[in-house]
Amino acid sequence: MNIHRFCGSPDHAISRRGFLGTAAAAIGTAAFADMTGLDILANSVLAGEMKKQQKRVILLWLAGGASQLETWDPKPGAATGGPFRSIQTAVSGVRISELMPKMADRMKHKLAIRSLNTKNGDHGGAAMLMMRGRRDEANVKFPDLGAVIAKEMGRADSQVPDYVTFYTQTEGRSMAPGSSGFLGSRYAPMELTTNNQPDNIKRLDGINELDHQQRADLRDLLSKQFAQGRTSAPLGSHNEAYQRVRGLMASDKLFDVSQETDKMRDQYGRTQFGEQTLIARRLIEAGVPFVRVGRAWWDSHGQNFETHQEMVPELDHVMAALVDDLKDRGLLEHTMIITLAEFGRTPSINPSLGRDHFASAWSCSLTGASIKPGAYGKSDATGNKVVEGEVDAAKLFATIYSALGINPHKNYYLGARPVPLVEPGTEPIKEVLA
Amino acid sequence: MRSPRLALAIVLLSACAASSADLLPPDRPIQSAIDFYVDAKLKASAVTPAPVADDFTLIRRLTLDLVGRIPTPAETKAYVESTDPEKRAKLVDRLMASPAFVRHQVNQFEAMMAGPNGRGNSGGLREYLTKALGENRPWDQIFRDMLIANESDAKTKGASEFVKSRVSDLDRLTNDVSVLFFGVNVSCAQCHDHPLVPDWKQDHFFGMKSFFARSFDNAGFLAEREFGQIKFKPKAGPEKQAKMMFLTGATVEAPGAKEPSKDDEKKEREKFEQAKKDKKVPAPPSFSARAKLAEVALQSKESEFFSRSIANRLWHRFLGFGLVMPLDQMHSENKPSHPELLTWLARDIANHKYDLRPAIRGIVMSQAYSRSSKWTSESQPAPALFAVGRLKPLTPMQLATSLRIATADPLTFENVKPDELEKRIEAQENGARGFASSIAQPTDDFQVGVNEALLFSNSDKVSREFLADGNDKLLGRVKAAADDAKAIDLIVRSVQCRPATADEQKVLQEYLSRRGDRKPEAFRQVIWALISGAEFRFNY
Repeated sequence: MNIHRFCGSPDHAISRRGFLGTAAAAIGTAAFADMTGLDILANSVLAGEMKKQQKRVILLWLAGGASQLETWDPKPGAATGGPFRSIQTAVSGVRISELMPKMADRMKHKLAIRSLNTKNGDHGGAAMLMMRGRRDEANVKFPDLGAVIAKEMGRADSQVPDYVTFYTQTEGRSMAPGSSGFLGSRYAPMELTTNNQPDNIKRLDGINELDHQQRADLRDLLSKQFAQGRTSAPLGSHNEAYQRVRGLMASDKLFDVSQETDKMRDQYGRTQFGEQTLIARRLIEAGVPFVRVGRAWWDSHGQNFETHQEMVPELDHVMAALVDDLKDRGLLEHTMIITLAEFGRTPSINPSLGRDHFASAWSCSLTGASIKPGAYGKSDATGNKVVEGEVDAAKLFATIYSALGINPHKNYYLGARPVPLVEPGTEPIKEVLA
Repeated sequence: MRSPRLALAIVLLSACAASSADLLPPDRPIQSAIDFYVDAKLKASAVTPAPVADDFTLIRRLTLDLVGRIPTPAETKAYVESTDPEKRAKLVDRLMASPAFVRHQVNQFEAMMAGPNGRGNSGGLREYLTKALGENRPWDQIFRDMLIANESDAKTKGASEFVKSRVSDLDRLTNDVSVLFFGVNVSCAQCHDHPLVPDWKQDHFFGMKSFFARSFDNAGFLAEREFGQIKFKPKAGPEKQAKMMFLTGATVEAPGAKEPSKDDEKKEREKFEQAKKDKKVPAPPSFSARAKLAEVALQSKESEFFSRSIANRLWHRFLGFGLVMPLDQMHSENKPSHPELLTWLARDIANHKYDLRPAIRGIVMSQAYSRSSKWTSESQPAPALFAVGRLKPLTPMQLATSLRIATADPLTFENVKPDELEKRIEAQENGARGFASSIAQPTDDFQVGVNEALLFSNSDKVSREFLADGNDKLLGRVKAAADDAKAIDLIVRSVQCRPATADEQKVLQEYLSRRGDRKPEAFRQVIWALISGAEFRFNY
């Protein structure tokens, strides 16, 4: 794919030399020298170049807590097992729920981690923990995975957003917001909560294309004049933020699923989750380092099996489409797909045939990005506790960072205080890293 | 135990605090003391500071800092044209005497109390601050009100919010109190002795936490037990019983440190159950650990933490950079840039019985506060020299209120009685709250996010609230201007609080002339380019 095709509209070809030529003469060359480099449309990030250097992440957030027993860690025959069977996958000796036949076929690209013990069974607190890999301190709010990836993989002058999160359903949304914590608003997510187009990315009808562009140039020119003789990080960030506006507006087509062929759209399925996942692929292909697609609401305190019978096959289908699509485009080894939630569900089945919150032995999956496929860790026969290879939130995050080529022990600094990406003393799961 | 620790604390404190005998005398005017110390350091560093900012800049800076908005064109004009040698002092006094000063103080204190991550306080605290700051209640009194947090006292209603909203997480409460009032972040000492700061041991963290250990939420009301103590596991050695201990090491022999008898326990439980049933504030304990902390922290040997922290915070608010940075790292390993000045200011605030107004007035009257934010020579001086004005991003309310004032018909604010003017400005302020909620609260390492740039560029909200046509709007007045030059002058004076430069006139006239067929839109675009510009976004 070539991102230039999004920018090829005749509107963008309008020359502004006329206005700016005079403006430059009036204000002087210092400010104008910078203006000449302003043609963002000619500076678009080349997707191909990004592809070679950097990895990207699509997080499928199974909000409310999907059941490990009906997905990655089935226990057929156990009293806690439920009605579904397990099936053999493409990796010998690894069986997953029969609700995921397509994942079973693609297991050669996937790792199921079956030994999460994260100890927090409260939606809000657990979602924060699993988005950040650690618990906030009294006075330190940590950035979440998306913000860290945005900082590590994004580019200051990026023409695309660097952290996008979809969470359209309302259930649980306020409990799992994206957050850049102490990294600040530069890395705050672009949140899509009402539809598949970001807020304020489209020009209002009241202003034409030429005026929109030239008034931005005017703004820039005057602001650069103000910036002369003034050195300030917030001032720099203000101008940078505005420099990104036109590029982001040009990326509106990235969010437009109708740009894809019918065949491709059918492959993902015409559900909200399918379409948002397809958009996520469009985004990462264009250089967006991190996209979260939230799918709610897995909180099956009642009728757990009906819920999963309906939702797991959709997940299976959409993820299969994504894996195949990324593979076809040569992006799978550079992209990590994560399925994660705030916690899993109890092995014990309650009187409403539901499963409750459970954080002591649950599962997630990592796909692509050269992760070693198969299964890691073990829960006991009933699924009540981890018996092998226990993984906590910090270890999971250390593994994710390592697989993406980010040193998990790297420090950020809060004043003089070094803040490592993961809790000190945490090592990644070495066995699953390539 | 007590005396060696206290002695240690005194040694450590005096390492960064000059002894008061060497300080300038307390009756020296505040601004003069400030400039004495700041100039001395500049001289020692061989740095010539930037010149004083011009009058246009100064009235904008002072109005933003003291009443939370830009000045109106009429205010700017009157100030700049005045030849009164006392005009600056008169401006400061007028602004500080206005109700808007209190409202802005409330906004600033509320943001400070919400912490860097905007952790919520409910409306109660705001109500309290409005009342307390409105009657100029001293800072030590506010501290006491917030800590003692007596919910049955009408005079301090709402002050309890700070403690109550944090009481379910005592670690956070302990740290937030230490950070806000004492400039000390003790959270590092929670799991181990502080790695960088020898003065902070685990005993300090758990000692501070002990003052809160008896507090809890009793069905919506803040309650405190007669008993209760904290045990903790040190990095090495057996479990330890924490003593109520202030940051200086001063300890308190608290009653109720022993396990209560079954009988006492039962009595207490019944008391709280009854209060729950009656939906009433439970009676306070005979000994309140929180009240004790308020007492200990303000006694003469201990009060330096309290007075130095507020001095540093005020300095930071007006200069954009603390004498100690970051604000929550006031300890022996992180020395102030101007140790004597910090000590002098802290002493001065204490001498004024924690009335903060003299310090605020002194800071904004100083030369150090008044410098231009432009630095024309080669290398940028270190921020701690205060050689050049520092850009301060506007707070959400400063920005939103200023946007409304900038884009209102300037005649709204002309030729009206002071009371009426005050009312009209307050109306703009009230109308600004909605937009303010979509702007991020600045922090020390603040960065403007792209969401804000998109909001300004493409939202209906900005277009509707600030670029609308109409008789009460700037655009309406601009359209009636005799020619483009006058229209530009009007826009720049309203938005930038200064006349347009010749270059700007030229550029903007060119911009307008190319849009002769759509003049109102062209004016709107020029206004947009200024309100979304860097100059407007910052207090420079």
